Amino acid sequence: MMETLQLLGQGFVVAFSLQNLGAALFGGILGLIVGAMPGIGSLAGCALLLPLTFHFNPTTAIIMLGSIYYANMFGGAFSAILINIPGDAPAIMTALDGFSMTKKGQPGKALFISNYASFIGGFIGMVILVFLGPALASFGLNFGPSEMTVLMLVAMTSISWLVGENPISGIVATCLGIMISTLGIDIVSGQIRYNFGSIWLLGGINFVPLVIGFIGMTQLFDLVVQDRAKEKISYVDVKIRFRDTLLTKDEYKRATRPSITAGLLGTFVGFLPGAGATAASFLCYAVEKKLSNGKTLVPLGQGAIEGLAASESANNAAAAGAFGPLLALGIPGSGTTAVLLGGLMMWGLNPGPMLFSTNPDFAWGLIASLFISNILSLAISLGCIPWLQKIVRVPIGVMIPSILVICFIGAYSTSNSMFGVVVMLVGGFLGYIFGKCSLPTAPLLLAFVLSSTLETNLRRAFLTSNGNLAVFLQRPITDVFLVIFLIMVLVPAGRAIYNKVKKN
Amino acid sequence: MKKNLILTVLVFLLAAVAVFAQGGKEADDGQFHISGNVDFYVSSSAGGGSDIITRTLTDIASKKGFVDAPFVVYNQPDGNGQISRRTVSTARNADSTLLCFSSGDLTAMIQNGGLTLDDFRPLVILAADKHLCFVNANGKYKSFQEILDAVAAGQKINVGGTMSDERVVFNMLCDELGTDAFTYITYGSASESIAALLGNHVDIAISKPAAASQYVLSGDIIPVLALSTTRFTAPFDAAPTLSELGYNDVEYPMWRGVIGAKNMSDEAVAYWADVFKKISETEEWQNDYLAKNLLVSQYMGPEEASAVMYEAQAAAQAQN
Repeated sequence: MMETLQLLGQGFVVAFSLQNLGAALFGGILGLIVGAMPGIGSLAGCALLLPLTFHFNPTTAIIMLGSIYYANMFGGAFSAILINIPGDAPAIMTALDGFSMTKKGQPGKALFISNYASFIGGFIGMVILVFLGPALASFGLNFGPSEMTVLMLVAMTSISWLVGENPISGIVATCLGIMISTLGIDIVSGQIRYNFGSIWLLGGINFVPLVIGFIGMTQLFDLVVQDRAKEKISYVDVKIRFRDTLLTKDEYKRATRPSITAGLLGTFVGFLPGAGATAASFLCYAVEKKLSNGKTLVPLGQGAIEGLAASESANNAAAAGAFGPLLALGIPGSGTTAVLLGGLMMWGLNPGPMLFSTNPDFAWGLIASLFISNILSLAISLGCIPWLQKIVRVPIGVMIPSILVICFIGAYSTSNSMFGVVVMLVGGFLGYIFGKCSLPTAPLLLAFVLSSTLETNLRRAFLTSNGNLAVFLQRPITDVFLVIFLIMVLVPAGRAIYNKVKKN
Repeated sequence: MKKNLILTVLVFLLAAVAVFAQGGKEADDGQFHISGNVDFYVSSSAGGGSDIITRTLTDIASKKGFVDAPFVVYNQPDGNGQISRRTVSTARNADSTLLCFSSGDLTAMIQNGGLTLDDFRPLVILAADKHLCFVNANGKYKSFQEILDAVAAGQKINVGGTMSDERVVFNMLCDELGTDAFTYITYGSASESIAALLGNHVDIAISKPAAASQYVLSGDIIPVLALSTTRFTAPFDAAPTLSELGYNDVEYPMWRGVIGAKNMSDEAVAYWADVFKKISETEEWQNDYLAKNLLVSQYMGPEEASAVMYEAQAAAQAQN
């Protein structure tokens, strides 16, 4: 323990040099801007900004990379909150409550809470990483095909908590999400499936354009068809003052507890190989919905501080958690950490079991710089709030074409091809129809993200066990998750039956 | 207010143009120049062998000033790599679009159908690579002989590896051993299959030395079988070849190289062949890449590389 702190202290000394601080600040500002652009998000953001770091020495470069990564995570929430277009996948849950708050005339407050929660989540994640990182990363290795299958099963089941009043339409949306995710090449056998003869569908549907379509474009269509003679001309026509962005004591209280819970859970999900920030923000949101049931001022999804805080804290905690397997094992836990891994290797550093013994000053310097990045990102984004929140006062007539341009650029840049734009337009059209039929879109998007992981791991589990179902019962971790799964399924069913019997 | 917004949109558009504008053009002075970014595609995720070689190549080229233009590396594992291959094949900025290409990629490309080498310009082959079988140091089996004994006793063995060349060498291994006790479990990348081995979710991982060396050095995994005609050098030298165990040797040597877009001009082909030749002669390449990853240096220019690649394509098409 003392040794860890001492090493971390040395790391801070490295990170606090003027050059390294400057690099962290520069990376933070750039990362925030790029992360705030929809469709670019943290993955493409890191990839785009990676070449910038080539001009520095390895330690400075990596520190800058770390701060780009962190600031990206902060930035992803901005467009979700202000214009209802998630900058990256984890921000979908942020948009639910964040944009609702904006519509109520509290964009500044929403941004403030998101930054506050991001900071807490990131901080918790970093502290856990410092003290338990290698141990947790090794524990994460225990998550093989059967464990991941059951974890994803639990996650898929918790979608039911988010579907709203009409379970049937929730199930329809979930099933559609699963169907869309099966397009493309089957990773286990290498067979091509459901590509309808098109090479574009060979790779399946990319998530980011789908989200931009389903959320951003749908909202545009809604704006276009609105009768503006009756509706207001901008999202918010009250005057926005800076002091309105500051939180009251009660609001701090409402944001802090969910941020801490989500921070702890999110870090853990981040440690699992292949789970990532999206699964973390979504799981923590679902858990928060259960935890704060009835205690919130408004229900989650309609502008609740608790939901916004849980989602933002979770995705930053997972971002920190993902560094565990990356540094201790050399295994990237997400697409973004995979890009970081590429960056590290370019400098001749091989993250892996040897990193902490062969390059201790580098490893601890990076971790220390992540702490600093977290604080810097908070300061930079808080400083931006007064300007950013003015965006929502832009007249809708100007807003529509601007969002349209942003959507197109975002959809195009995910794969640098028009296919993304086509996916976005189709998604936007479907999303509009969804809205007209009061089908919820969040279950579709989440089912899409989770079901490919579920499918791949389920089939791997059956391959290793020769199709024997016992593989899900023989391991302690799967047993724990199966019990959680059964409780989640049976308790509501039991309660419904009990109520019915009592009524009769 | 309005003015501010217009300005913002303008800046945004400018930034977008700066980020996304690319292209190689021939300058007026007759000499070949690259302008804009060089798009270097990798059809597998970061951390694998293709990624490492690409990062090394671009790093040396930039540091030594062989290429003035900045490299942008795209990891596009979508569609079994077919999307990045198709992207490169039809790239508009043909002269400055490159694809990291190996015999494993070639196998996958032929399996997917729709693309052949005719859709590309073969540029160079730079190195050759072979495979090993690894087991977990804390796992059930400590040597390949133990695994063979277990198979003889009726045990099933799970083998992890990627979709392409490792799967081919796995099939060759099973044919040689004459057993169906091995089950192949596909992982998205070498780092994923090694992670599965570290967690004891598979009994054997088939991997090239580069992706496994860290874990061998740390003692977490042990090389137990060299899929080659000769043993590897340290730290993989403990692994016997199949002939030492009483079978015929099995190997599927994998070359690594670079190919370009179909419409790449002859000047650009000559330019890139020259750049990669210069890179392959640098000390960094010899020491930091080849020696470190236990690879055999094997520079082949466009014509030679083309011959080797077409030969491999014919073999893959015959298997298909």
